[in-house]
Amino acid sequence: MDTTRSEFNIMDSTQTDFSGTLMVEDEHELESGERVMTLNMGPQHPSTHGVMRVLLKLDGETVLECDPMIGYLHRGTEKLSETKRYAQIVPWTDRLDYTAAPQNNLGYVLAVEKLLGLEAPERAQYWRVIMAELSRIASHLVWLGTHALDIGALSMSLYTFREREMIMDIFETFCGARLTTNMMEIGGFSRGLPDTLVEQIRNFLRVFPNRMKEYTDLLSANPIWLARTKGVGIISPEAAISYSLTGACLRGSGINYDVRKAEPYLVYDRLDFEVPLGQFGDVFDRYLVRVEELRQAHKIVTQALDYIEHHDSPMMAYESAYVMPPHMGTLTTAEDMQRHFVWVIKGFNAPVGEVYHAIEHGKGEFGIHLVSDGGSMPYRMRIRTPDFVNLAVLPHMAQGAMLADMVALIGTIDIVLGSVDR
Amino acid sequence: MIDGENQLTEQRAMEPAGTGWERDLWFDDDLSKHPVIRELRLAFPDDLLDAVRFRNETTIYVTPARLRDIAMYMRDHAQLQVNFLSDLTAVDMLTLRTSPRFDVTVQLYSIPNRTRLRMKASINDGQSVPSLVPVFNGANWMERECFDMFGIFFEGHPNLRRILLQDDWDEGHPLRKDYPTRGWKEFPVYNKERTVKRTKTRWTGRGV
Repeated sequence: MDTTRSEFNIMDSTQTDFSGTLMVEDEHELESGERVMTLNMGPQHPSTHGVMRVLLKLDGETVLECDPMIGYLHRGTEKLSETKRYAQIVPWTDRLDYTAAPQNNLGYVLAVEKLLGLEAPERAQYWRVIMAELSRIASHLVWLGTHALDIGALSMSLYTFREREMIMDIFETFCGARLTTNMMEIGGFSRGLPDTLVEQIRNFLRVFPNRMKEYTDLLSANPIWLARTKGVGIISPEAAISYSLTGACLRGSGINYDVRKAEPYLVYDRLDFEVPLGQFGDVFDRYLVRVEELRQAHKIVTQALDYIEHHDSPMMAYESAYVMPPHMGTLTTAEDMQRHFVWVIKGFNAPVGEVYHAIEHGKGEFGIHLVSDGGSMPYRMRIRTPDFVNLAVLPHMAQGAMLADMVALIGTIDIVLGSVDR
Repeated sequence: MIDGENQLTEQRAMEPAGTGWERDLWFDDDLSKHPVIRELRLAFPDDLLDAVRFRNETTIYVTPARLRDIAMYMRDHAQLQVNFLSDLTAVDMLTLRTSPRFDVTVQLYSIPNRTRLRMKASINDGQSVPSLVPVFNGANWMERECFDMFGIFFEGHPNLRRILLQDDWDEGHPLRKDYPTRGWKEFPVYNKERTVKRTKTRWTGRGV
C-alpha cells in the first residue's frame, strides 16, 4: 500500500489555497440568483477568544460552510517536552489552557505517576481535588462571562470575574501564582500550606451559592438569552459521540460520560456528586449543564475540605525512589547539596512503557499519552486537549446557522486557543 | 460482555531489566481472555499481530491496511461497542527500532462498557493507513494534525492538509525524531555590523 506524494495533490503546498479548501466555490450561483459571499471572521475577532480565524461561506445571512483555521498560537509543546525532564514539563502544561492551569498540571502529573506506578498520599489527593474543582469553577466562570458577553449580556462578565478573582487569590495563597500556577508536583505537594488557606476557601464557599443565584437570575429566564440560545447549535447524541466530543458538549446532548465517574481518579469515587445531563443538545442545554457543574464543584470542594480539616497526614510520597528527597541540609552541608544538585540535574529514569491517562478537565477529557524509552525525558508526549477535538464540530454545527449565531456557537464549545493550538 | 479490564488480568509491576523496547517482557499470558482480543482473533485471524498489557492498559497491534475495518467492526459489534475515538496520534520510533518507523496510535473507548483500548498500526515512511473518518467523524482533525506533525498519509481523508502549522510550511514535519527542536532553517543573525559603536568602559568602583 505504498502511496507516493503525487497522489495527494492537496498536500502540495503550491496548490493549496484557502478558497480551495471548501466545497462551495465563490463563483457558485445560488438558486435565488445571488452570489456566495466569503467572509473572514477573525483572527482578531473578539468572540474567538484568542486568535482563531473562521472562513465563512454565506448565502445572505445563512452560513453554508465554515472552516476554522487554528494554529496561530502553536508553540510546539509536544516537541519541546521531548527535550525536558519529567519535572520540567509541568510549567509548560500551565500554558495550554491558561484559564484552568491546575487541571493541566493535574492531568500531566497523574499520567507521569501512572507511568511510574506511584501514588500520592491521600491528603495530597484531596488537595488536588480541591484545586482541580476550584479551577473548574474558574474556567466555567470565564466561559460564562465571555459567552454571555459575546451574545450581548455585558454585565455577566462583571459578575463572574468578581468571583474568579477570589479563586485567583486562593491560588496565590496556595502556590504564589495566579494564572500559570505550576502547582502540582510528581508525588504530592512538597511545601507547607499557609494557615489562612482553609479559611479563605471557606469564605469563598460561603459567598458562592448566592453569587450563583445572581448569574442564574440574570440569564436563565432572560427572554433575550433564551431566544439566542434555545434551539441553536443542536448536536444530536449520535453526532456528539461520532465527533468525539467530551465535557459539557457531550453531556449537553444527553450522553453520560464523565471521566470522574467512568474511571475515577484521585478520590472522586469517595465524593458525592452528580453529573448533569442535557436533553436537547443545544446551546442552552450546555449552559445549564455547565451551571450545574458549578454547583457540583462547590459541593465537591466542601466535602474535600471537611476531610482536610479532620485528617492530618504527609503530603508527599517520599518513600518512592522517583520523588525528590526533602532538602534537609541543602544549604548547610556539602553532601546534601551535591545530592540535591544531582537530583535536579539528572532527574529520574522512568520505566519503559507507555500510558494514557485522562482526566475530566473543565472543558472535557484532557488526556496525556506518554511513551517512555527508559530515559529521564519522555520519548513522546501527546496532549489530547478537549477543546481541539471539540472545535472540530463547529463546521457541523454552523451548517445552515445564521451568521449572528456564530458567536454563540463558538462560545458554547468553550475554547481557549492556547489549549487548541498547544 | 466486558467486565472491566482489571478483572481479567492483574497489573504486573514490570520494569524490564535493560532499556530499549522489550515489549515481550510485558506480555501477559491471560491476555487471550480479553474480550476484544478474543473477538478479533475470530474475525480477523491474520490481522491481530500482537497484544501488550502495561499499567492496566491494553494495546493491540493490527495490520495497517485493516485499521479501518477493525475499528468499524469493534464499533458495530453488539458486545464490544467500542464507539468512542478518544485520540489519534503517531509515535516516531526512529531511535527505538529499525523498521517500521511510525506507530499510528488510536485511543479507543467504549462508553457503555467503560473500557479503554489502544490500537496501533506500524507503518514505514511513505506508507499510508486508511483514514478513520468514515468510522468516527472526530478523526478528521486528529488525522490532519497527525499528517501535519509526522507526514503520515491517511487514505480516504476528505481534506488532508496542515492544521496547526501554516499551509506553506516547507520545513517538513516537526514531531519526527530527526527534526531538530529549533527547526531546519538557520537563525537570522541580527546586528552583524554594529550601528552603535561599542565602547570600552572601565569599572571604577565608584558608581561612575
